[in-house]
Amino acid sequence: MESHSLRDTHVKLLAFDLLSLTRTPSLSSSSFDPFSFSRKGIQISRVEALGVVVTRELKPDKFLKFSIDDGTGCIQCVLWLNQLNSPYFSRRCPSDVRLIAQMALIFSTRVQLGLVVRVRGRIAGFRGLVQITVEDVVVERDPNSEILHWLDCMKLAHQHYDILRGK
Amino acid sequence: MASTIVNSGALVVLQELNPSSPYFKHGASLRVTGKLQGYTVETAEAVIADGSASLKVDTHHLSLNFRVGSIYQFIGELHVQPDNEVMLKARVGRNVDGMDLNLYRRSLQLLRGFQGEQSV
Repeated sequence: MESHSLRDTHVKLLAFDLLSLTRTPSLSSSSFDPFSFSRKGIQISRVEALGVVVTRELKPDKFLKFSIDDGTGCIQCVLWLNQLNSPYFSRRCPSDVRLIAQMALIFSTRVQLGLVVRVRGRIAGFRGLVQITVEDVVVERDPNSEILHWLDCMKLAHQHYDILRGK
Repeated sequence: MASTIVNSGALVVLQELNPSSPYFKHGASLRVTGKLQGYTVETAEAVIADGSASLKVDTHHLSLNFRVGSIYQFIGELHVQPDNEVMLKARVGRNVDGMDLNLYRRSLQLLRGFQGEQSV
């Protein structure tokens, strides 16, 4: 890896690790979030997490807020469903926006209490807590998927993420 | 945007649920895994076992199909009676038939070590 940054990677993190990221005011004016996040001095912006859906709160046409529990902590996630009426999307191609809205709706139906989901998205701060702004959701049917995710996270931390800080 | 915060269910194996264990606390949020030994429809009470250890689980809030002999995983809060009788009030549950329980136990030990090492 050439850069000592993990900004363009979906970093696989366990909840306890994600929830203990360091938050600093963002220097970039183009950033979505007024804060940037780092793990042991290495900046990260995207994350992949996996866990059991333990809460689910739907506001139709607005958002789906849910949390996943991976056994080391609970991660708050927000999936936006307001693409068709948000000014943020008004300057984008309408057919693209419809497609994004359609995908978001499909993702929202996948998130059901008790299922194990793999979530990828942007790290954001909300009311002092770290949360994931969801980009995609996959339901994991393999009963060993969570164990394999733990092992992946530990291996990546030992062999890559922890090593970057020393470079 | 209101947010519902719930406690994470600490990963435990049933053998660890004895009165001297730090997990053996009224109200503790736990995640337990075991083979279904019995299920009472009238009370929605399940009994799961792992080796010689077993645990009663209140499944009132769940809509799962229960099959004796299948493996289930539950997340919920532990209720400890004055006589040290315990029951988990499950919030969520799932069938995990096919889970490699030996890999699960070994990975859980690694995970605890990793958490300890990363928090230093």
